[in-house]
Amino acid sequence: MDNELTALTTIFTEFYYWMTVVLMFLIHVGFCMYEVGASRYKHHQHTLMKNTLLIPLVTITWFFFGWWIYWAFPTGPGIAPSIMTESTGLVLGGGFGANELANPTNALMAVNLGDHIMGVFWAAFLLFSWTAASIVSGAVIERITTFAFGIMAIAIGSVFWSIDASWGWHFDGWMLKILGYHDAYASGVIHAICGGFALGILTVLGPRIGKFSSSGEPRNIGPRNPWLVCIGLFLIFTGFWGFYAACNIPIFDLGPEYGMEGVTYFTATNIYVTPTTLSGITMNFLMSLSGGFLAGYWISKGDPFWTYSGGLAGIIAASAGNDLYHPMQSLIIAGAGTAVAYKMHYWVERTFKIDDAVGAVAVHGYAGVFGLVVCGFVLWGYPSSGYNVGSMWVGTDYAPINPLGMIIGAIIMFGVLGFLPGWILAKILHGFGRLRIPRDVELAGLDYNILEQARKDERAVASSNR
Amino acid sequence: MEPTVTNWIDHLSASEVAGQIYPMVGTEIWWVLAGIVFWIGWTFATATGEAEEHEKLARKKHGSNDYKSNIAEW
Repeated sequence: MDNELTALTTIFTEFYYWMTVVLMFLIHVGFCMYEVGASRYKHHQHTLMKNTLLIPLVTITWFFFGWWIYWAFPTGPGIAPSIMTESTGLVLGGGFGANELANPTNALMAVNLGDHIMGVFWAAFLLFSWTAASIVSGAVIERITTFAFGIMAIAIGSVFWSIDASWGWHFDGWMLKILGYHDAYASGVIHAICGGFALGILTVLGPRIGKFSSSGEPRNIGPRNPWLVCIGLFLIFTGFWGFYAACNIPIFDLGPEYGMEGVTYFTATNIYVTPTTLSGITMNFLMSLSGGFLAGYWISKGDPFWTYSGGLAGIIAASAGNDLYHPMQSLIIAGAGTAVAYKMHYWVERTFKIDDAVGAVAVHGYAGVFGLVVCGFVLWGYPSSGYNVGSMWVGTDYAPINPLGMIIGAIIMFGVLGFLPGWILAKILHGFGRLRIPRDVELAGLDYNILEQARKDERAVASSNR
Repeated sequence: MEPTVTNWIDHLSASEVAGQIYPMVGTEIWWVLAGIVFWIGWTFATATGEAEEHEKLARKKHGSNDYKSNIAEW
C-alpha cells in the first residue's frame, strides 16, 4: 500500500473485523457456560468438552472446505447466473471466485503482504460457524456421543450454513435474485437453519431419560446452575454486538460499485452491499433485546430462564430486517417473535415429545422463521440489492423483498437446509449405533469415571502425611 | 532450506513485492494434506476411545444417583 488513504481504509477494515472476532469469541464462552449451567452435575465435564471441541473441528474444516463452499455456491449451482461470471455453474473465478479466494492452498489463505482482509473476513465467518454448531450443541446435551456431535458440528458449521449463506447471504446469491430474500443479521441463515437442524437430530435422538412421564407428560429438568446460565447468556448478548458488526462492511464507496457515474458515496453496508449505519443497527439491537426481554418475562410469568432466552429470541426475530427497521418496529417484532417461540416450544414438546434441553429450537428456529416471514411483509417492496432491481423468478436481476419470497426462504433455511440434513445424518449415525450414549452411561453420568477417580485421589491426599 | 525472506529492505523495495512470506512457498498442498490426515486420524482415534470408555462404564450398571458418593470436597 503506497497511498495513505487506501492504507487507512484497509487497515481500519482489517482491525474492524478483527475486533468483531474477539467480541464474537464471547458468544462461545457464553455458550459453554450456558450449557454447563443447564446440564446436570454428573454430565458437566463431558458437556463442556463437547462444546469446546467444536472450536477446532469447525475451524479446520472451515479452512479445508467451508469457506470455499461459501464463495463457490451463490448460483445454486444451476439456479441463477452469477453477476460476475454470468454463468449458473459454480463460481470459481471472475474476481470473487472460490478458487481465487478460498482454496486452502492459494496465496490469500495465509500471511500475505498483498492482502489484509481475507484472514479476518474468513475468521468472522468462522465465528458464525462456531455459533451455528453451538446452537445445536445445547439442544442435545447429556445424551449425544461426542463423536456424533463432532460430525453434526462439522455438517452444520462447515457445510450447510455455508451453503445457505452462499445462497441467501451473499451479494451474488440466487435467493436474492429469484426470491427477493433479505436477512441482514441472519435470522434465517444462522438461526432458523440451526434450529431446524437441531430439531432434525432431536426427532431421532429422543429425550433424556426421565424427561417424560409414562403418560407422556413433560417434566422440567431446569438449569442446574442458574447463575452460570445467566452469565452465559449475558456473554452471548455481548458477543452478539460483534456478530452484528461483523455482518456489515464498515466502509464502502457505493457510487462506483453501483455504476453511478461521478457519484462518491461512502457508507457502511450490510453483507448485500446495500447501505445501513452501525449507529442505526445499534438502536435496533437494543430495542429488539428489550422487546424480547419484556415479552419473555410477560409470557413466562417472570421465569428467569425464559426471560433471558426471550432477549435472545427477540434479537433473532428482528435480525432479518434490523438494517432498515425503525427501533419501535424492532421492539414489537422482537416481542411477538419471543411469544411465538415460547408457545411453539411447549406445543412441540407436548405434541411430539421433543426434548430440546435449552430451548434452542424455539429461540433460534421458531423465532428465526418468524423473523423472516415478518420481514417479508414489513420490508415488502424494498430492493434486495443495490445492483439491477428486477422481479421475482427471473434470476438475471434482483427481486424486491416480498412475503412469498421470504416464506419460501424460511422453508429453505429451517426445512431444506436445516431439519432435513439433521434428520438424515442422525438416522445414519443411529443406524451405526453411534448417535446416542448407552442407557447405563446416561444413568450413571458421563463424568462418572472422572468423579470416581477424583474421589479416590481426594481420599489418598487426605490420608497422606508427607 | 532457503527462507522466503532473507532481507526485508530488498524484499520491500523490489519492483513487485511478493505477498507470500511464509516458509516453503509452493508446498501448500502438502501442508493441507497433512492437516487433513491429522484431522481424520484424530476422529478415528477419539471415536474408538469414546466407544470403549462407554462400554466399560455401561458394564458397571451404576444407578442414577451413585455419582453422589463420588463428589470430592477438595
